Amino acid sequence: MNVLTFFDTDAGAAEAPSVDDVQAVTEDVWLSLLGEQEVLVPRLVPPGTPFDALGVWSAVASISGGWQGVVTIELADSVARPVTAHMLDIPAGTDATDSDVADAVGELVNMIGGNIKSLMPGPSALSLPSVAAGRAVFASDLVEACRVDISWRGEPVRVCIHVPH
Amino acid sequence: MRAMIIDDSRAMRSILRRIVSGLDFETSEAEHGQDALDQMNAGVVPDICLVDWNMPVMDGYTFITRVRDNPDWRDVTLMMVTTESEQRNIVRALAAGAHEYVIKPFTPDAIVDKLALLGLLQPDAVLGGGVPA
Repeated sequence: MNVLTFFDTDAGAAEAPSVDDVQAVTEDVWLSLLGEQEVLVPRLVPPGTPFDALGVWSAVASISGGWQGVVTIELADSVARPVTAHMLDIPAGTDATDSDVADAVGELVNMIGGNIKSLMPGPSALSLPSVAAGRAVFASDLVEACRVDISWRGEPVRVCIHVPH
Repeated sequence: MRAMIIDDSRAMRSILRRIVSGLDFETSEAEHGQDALDQMNAGVVPDICLVDWNMPVMDGYTFITRVRDNPDWRDVTLMMVTTESEQRNIVRALAAGAHEYVIKPFTPDAIVDKLALLGLLQPDAVLGGGVPA
């Protein structure tokens, strides 16, 4: 479980990137890692719906400075493992370890978070990623400002931006 | 040519290793700036370092300043490969001694183009097998 508690200044308004921006950044990162032939399909998920995969990996990176927010990716284990295998060039028939998956998912949120940071007022700093096997959980001083639900090969992926109240 | 890939992500090191190995570079890897400095002090001095910015222990910017502080390493080419894309930080890195700057996500061609600009590729160099799409 990824538990986020931070934000100790009043800097940074609760502005957030647009859904289109987050989706574009996610697609850029995804396709650069997995190939232009891959397709990410938007999913219509009602607000407040928990991420619905059985096995879940989550990774978070926080942005602090001129803008403050938390970037989260949640993805099904059935997504995380093939993505990891591709990134680490793991031979077919060999399973990615949990450590491999944590590394790859952390790099995913690092790349998405870095590009989100570039869209927002700066200067800001991006934290090192934090990765968990399980859903992300957010402190009560954060509110979801933007959410993108997509599927890759029929399996769910969610990218969220949370900002301080 | 020898390339050192400095990134705390094994996945990113793997991706970059496949790209530069496909261009016939010998590769070494470091998990952060201090790890890279330790290897270089031990004699593993590459022709080029591909350096992430955001790493534990020692970040890429600090690594660049340390390399540039050592005249024995003045011939080492430094290329940032990072998600850090704020203009002021790009300027800082280049002013500190980085020669080129690549923002993640990147394509293999972007790395190839930068290496060519730096004069580190043979004119007929092409990507070999195993490079990520």
